[in-house]
Amino acid sequence: MPQLLKHPEAFKGPGLSDDPFGKNFLELVARTPETKRRSRLKAIEEALQLAVPQLINLSDVKDETGVPHLEATYTHWRPGAGRQREDQFSDGTLRLIGLFWTLLDGDAPLLLEEPELSLHTAIVKKLPSLFYRMQRKRKRQIFVSTHSWEMLQDKGIGGEEVVMLEPNNEGTIATVASKNSDIRKLLSSGLSIAEVALPRTAPPNLEQLSLNLE
Amino acid sequence: MSPIPVHLAVEDDLSELVIRRLLLDTGRDYSVGGVFGRGGFGYLKSRARNWNAAAAAGKSILLLTDLDHHPCPPGLIEEWLDAEPHTNLIFRVAVREVESWLLADRDGLADFLGIGVAVMPSQPDQIPDPKQSLVNLARRSRRRTLRESIVPRDGSTAVQGPDYNGCLGDFVRGHWNRNAALGGSPSLEGAWSRLMVFEPTWAA
Repeated sequence: MPQLLKHPEAFKGPGLSDDPFGKNFLELVARTPETKRRSRLKAIEEALQLAVPQLINLSDVKDETGVPHLEATYTHWRPGAGRQREDQFSDGTLRLIGLFWTLLDGDAPLLLEEPELSLHTAIVKKLPSLFYRMQRKRKRQIFVSTHSWEMLQDKGIGGEEVVMLEPNNEGTIATVASKNSDIRKLLSSGLSIAEVALPRTAPPNLEQLSLNLE
Repeated sequence: MSPIPVHLAVEDDLSELVIRRLLLDTGRDYSVGGVFGRGGFGYLKSRARNWNAAAAAGKSILLLTDLDHHPCPPGLIEEWLDAEPHTNLIFRVAVREVESWLLADRDGLADFLGIGVAVMPSQPDQIPDPKQSLVNLARRSRRRTLRESIVPRDGSTAVQGPDYNGCLGDFVRGHWNRNAALGGSPSLEGAWSRLMVFEPTWAA
């Protein structure tokens, strides 16, 4: 969560085990052996070129009190404007840095919860192929939860890879999308998961929402 | 020579990459403004008349769509616009999909996929489902990474592999021999000829 890095003073406390929200992300980066850290930050900077082309020289530093930070140069700033730290990065940039780092970090199964948050939809569309490219060498299993139309319109996503969570009055039913013969036929006809499966996961009776608020 | 500003309206990422490559290859000073669409043909069809109106108002717009199962390009254009396309609207239809324009570079695509050129179709505009043909050709590829990226896994409902656009984007940007492709696809040749002579007219 970008806010945890931008405003650490507001989130003091022991935090959660395994740090699922990235509160200690900067310490994690700083603790990584130098060679590995440098090569990962270089790889992240290259991947970021698509989204933030003006950001260069991404690196880690420690301030005078020993607290680690991320720094980068923005080429469109005036020369000599100095380097920017993580509290000046956009939420989307910080999320992408955290996302890319996590993808490069280890080969254990990875759970990503709504990775589309704060990102431009044009970037979100590219996430499925990006996940594929990054796990291809490691054969790492990645679980993604999402509501994103853009992400799910990638026609490389098979119905057998998607578990739909359909809410009803009794609870939530989890179904592998391709188990449904309607969905299977529609997907095989060239429609996307976004078109075929996503609408089924909307809460029932949603059309009454505006009435209930009046 | 002053720049030629143009907005793009395309079905998907691959179409956009192909169009950008063609615009670059013309050697003319095309300057791409907005990119509309990339969400399939339904959106393009629903907006085609708006773009024709924008063209009449002085905006130059390049609309590329796939013919898919429609009988012929003139019929599709007439159905979508219900009028003559304005001279500022470059309305091109890939027969039957933009993949046929890639297949038209037989040697280049065969080399990229690592397959023999003899299995490449000679008239890709005549193929009923060029995308499926391309996927089937990639199935024969000796290059595992390419094969796994372009071809869906066995038993999958997906119509393409997990990095289809990424791989074919690499091909379009770095390997596609456009000159060779022009000779193999009349619909590509038609689009190219128009791009080479297009001159927008400005509203008074």
